[in-house]
This record gives sequence, C-alpha cells and structure tokens, in this order.
Amino acid sequence: MPELNALLPNLMRRLPEFWKACGDTLLMEVWSGAIIFVLGLIFGIILTVTKPGGIMENRPVYQVLDKIINLFRSIPFIILLTALMPLSRAIMGTAIYVRGVIVPLVFGATPFFSRQVESALAQTDKGLVEAALSMGSSPFEVIFRVYLRESLAPIIRAVTITIISLLGLTAMAGAVGAGGLGDFAIRYGHDRNMQDITWVVVGVLVAGVSVVQWLGEYLARRNTH
Amino acid sequence: MIELEHVVKNFHADKNSAIHAVNDVSLKINNGEIFGIIGFSGAGKSTLVRCINLLERPDSGSVKIDGVEMTALKPKELYKARTKIGMIFQQFNLMPSRTVLQNVAYPLRNMTREQVRAKVRELLALVDIPDKENAYPSELSGGQKQRVAIARALANDPGILLCDEATSALDPQTTGAILQLLKDLNRKLGLTIVVITHEMEVVKNICRRAAVMDAGKIIESGDVFEIFSSPKHQVTRNFVRTTSNLSKIETLIKDESPMVRLKPGEVMARLVYIHADVSEPLISYASRAFDLEINIILADVEIVAGVMVGGTVVIFNGESERIERAMKYYREKNIRVEVIQDARA
Repeated sequence: MPELNALLPNLMRRLPEFWKACGDTLLMEVWSGAIIFVLGLIFGIILTVTKPGGIMENRPVYQVLDKIINLFRSIPFIILLTALMPLSRAIMGTAIYVRGVIVPLVFGATPFFSRQVESALAQTDKGLVEAALSMGSSPFEVIFRVYLRESLAPIIRAVTITIISLLGLTAMAGAVGAGGLGDFAIRYGHDRNMQDITWVVVGVLVAGVSVVQWLGEYLARRNTH
Repeated sequence: MIELEHVVKNFHADKNSAIHAVNDVSLKINNGEIFGIIGFSGAGKSTLVRCINLLERPDSGSVKIDGVEMTALKPKELYKARTKIGMIFQQFNLMPSRTVLQNVAYPLRNMTREQVRAKVRELLALVDIPDKENAYPSELSGGQKQRVAIARALANDPGILLCDEATSALDPQTTGAILQLLKDLNRKLGLTIVVITHEMEVVKNICRRAAVMDAGKIIESGDVFEIFSSPKHQVTRNFVRTTSNLSKIETLIKDESPMVRLKPGEVMARLVYIHADVSEPLISYASRAFDLEINIILADVEIVAGVMVGGTVVIFNGESERIERAMKYYREKNIRVEVIQDARA
C-alpha cells in the first residue's frame, strides 16, 4: 500500500469516492443500456419490416420513424442533455445524478442502436425471408425465427459497439451532474490537475471497453457458422 | 390442379412507369405432372411462379389450387395453404445458423422433439442425404444443399413443389442428379412439380408439358415434344437452338471457318426433322434422285419426350434447279428447310 500511496496520492485519498464513481457509471450503463436495448431492437425491427419491399411494408410508419431517428441522431449529446432536463424531471423526478441522466442517455443512444440493429438485420439474405414465407411462416415468425435468429452475430456486434459508445456518453453526462467516472475525472483530474486520477480513470475505461469488445467478439464468433 | 386465369402483376419502378412482369397469363397445371416454364431472364417466370404461392400477390386475375381461390384467403389461411406448396430456389436459401436437421425441421410444428427427429430423418433419407443432419449448410456442396432444401420443402407433405431455377447454380452432373431426384419424387409421391428455368435442357429432361414465357406473356405452351419439334415463336426457336448442335453453324460462319465456306453454286441449309421418320435414308436418297452432292456439316438428333428430334446442316452442290427440287422434296417429307447461305448466282 505505501507504494500505491506514493504513486497515486490523490486517488488513494479518495478511494471511497472512486469506487462510488465506478458504481455510478456501471449503474448508468446497465439501466440505460437495458432500455436502449429493448427500444432499439423494436425500432430496428420496425424499420426493417416497414421499409419499401419489407415484409410488413408501411410507408407512413417507416417515414416517420426514419425521420425521428435522424432528428435525434443529429442533435449533439451535450445539447440533448440540457434540452431534456424538463422531460427528465417529469419522468424520473429529477434531472441530476444517475436517475436524472437515464432519459437523455436513452434518447441519445437509442437512435444509434436502432440504426445498428437495422443494418444488422439488413444483412439477412432476402432469400431466407422468402423461403420462410414460402413455408407458411407469418411475418412475426419471420421476425423472430429468421431476422433475429439469423442476425444474432451482427446484433451482438451492434450491442458491443453501442455499449462502448454509451460509456462515452455517460462520461459526458458526468459534466452535468450525473456523477460517475467522467465526472470524477473532470472534477479532480482536470479541474485540480490531479493527473494520477485522470490516468487511473482512463485505465479503468480502457479495461472496460476491452472486456466488452472481447466478450462481444467471442459471442459473435460462437454464433457464426 | 393449379389454375391461373388472366394473372397480371406489375412492378412500379417509379410513379409514371410500370413493368409488366406478368401480363395476362392463363395456365393450367394438372395434378401429378412435371410442368416446365421456360424463358430468358427477365421474362417474368420467377414472378409468375411466386403468384402461385402468393409470395407475389397478383394485381388482378385468379389463382386457384385444387379449386381454392388463393387470392381470397385470409392471412392465416394463406400461411396454412403455403405449407402445402413446397418451394426451392436457385440459391438454396438454407438458414446458415441452423444445422441440416434444424433447417429441415423449420416448417414442422405441433410435434414432439422425437417426432420431429423421426420426420427429418425420413425426409433426409428420401432425398438421399441421410448422414449430414448435424452439418451446417456451409459444410455442404451445392447439390447437397439443394437436397436439404428439397427435404425442407417437402416437410409438410405438400402436393406441389415449385422449383425456381433450382439447378441453375449447379454443375451439369449435379443438375442431372437433382433432376433425377425430382423425377423420382414425382413418381413416388405423385408430387406436382412446376419447374422454372432458362435452360431448355432441364425442360427437355423432365417435363412432359411446358410453357414458353417472354416479356410477361406465355407465347407458347403444350407438349414439350411439340414445342421442341415445331416451335412457332421466334423466342422458342432461339431456345430450341441453344440446346442443339445445329446452332454451332452460326458461330462457324461468324468465325469464317473454312468448313463452311461455300463454293459458287452451293447452298447451305438446315434440315430440321419435325414429324419425320428419321430412319428413312433421306440424304442418300435425295443425293441419288436429284444427282447432287450433299455434304453433312453438322448433325444432331436426340430423344425428347420419347420421340426423335433434331436435324442436320448440309451443303448442296449441284445444278441450281435440282437443289430447289431436293429442298421441295424434303419439305414434302415434313422436314423444315432453312437456307443459311446461298452461293448460287
């Protein structure tokens, strides 16, 4: 321990706070990630089946969803964070801390993940869909037994990319009072020039990204034949 | 019985133009027969076959299968009806993330695990690929993939099998084996098979009756032998020619081969046997009777639907008027004479 105290003086003095920041980041990831996963999957599927030539072609639905996703993707996240504060208060009861940042995170990353899902599903051979329909599958069966099942690997990759980019967003959310590692690094590492804290936070994030990336790739490969 | 009446299907490239993929097609396909639909790519045959199981919904017209109007079915009834119409494809369309067993089991429902396994094994034995149930499609050859696809299409014991260019991605030997399998299934199960193809060979090999399609319309249909021996339409003639050695003559002429260079006074003609008794010594008789030299350049006679068809390409050498009389004699014998090159003055 003395060695660590010498190497990372500022961090060691704030260890409890550091662990809490890690926990908060994880909490933000898990909560918003779960919601984004469900919503993005649904929107990605709706985009895929309602687009022209899709199995449940529906021009109005497709056009509206397509435009909304483009709209939210083009708003910089930092602006979304402040713009959605009233909505956050209305839904979650607060606009700060972990609870307060779930809404902007969902709005910020769902459109991204929806597009990822859409492009994952687009890799499904149209011939497979046609074959399934010819065997008497209903459109819903085609969604679950062909689209989702046959795109498992690309969907896993889409989840991986989204989790990683969500990590970046949670760090940014820290700037507006969400807490977490981003907030921790800015408050101490940047504002008070405690470089050991900056480096440790970077190290933790790199490790987190690596684990997610490795796990995603492993699962994707296991589902490729 | 499959009955199509005045089926029309248009595709809209943009608001102002429509492509008549299928343009007023009426067709009857009897139970238990192998029916061919042949046409060059873009002729609309793939769209037409998809109108049978309503993968493409016709803009107008009627599609009846065993008397049931398919276009009037509710979605759920349609899904059920489709389980009784198998379909196989050029690209096989097996699900890559599923094993052979899981692929063939895909359309099976309301069965226990053991029942599914037993049914799949029975189907794989039927298509003669029994030892691959745990392989993934990526581990199979083209012919094996198509066998698995056929097993999957037959999972719900359909009465009809639609084949959309099912052998076009296969080499000639494998094509032969798959066609033989289709023939066997037709005989063993009384399966009605509709074959879509751009290869005359395929139709010749397994179909009794066929229709020729061009630009969304059926331009000729009937007995394969009739179509083959006396094609009425130019497109059909082109098809017949693609399978015949006699078409090589055009290439030879284009390449200015010395074999086909005529001396003055010679006539090159294609003689096509229609209903002729090919066994008659037509060449040597004409040669003697009209005092001509008749040189056979190419000959191609084969068996189609159990009947001989074919012909020869010959060069007549002799007096101009005698050549005319020889050609007249052949025409009287029910032989079609097409003059290819004429080097008479």
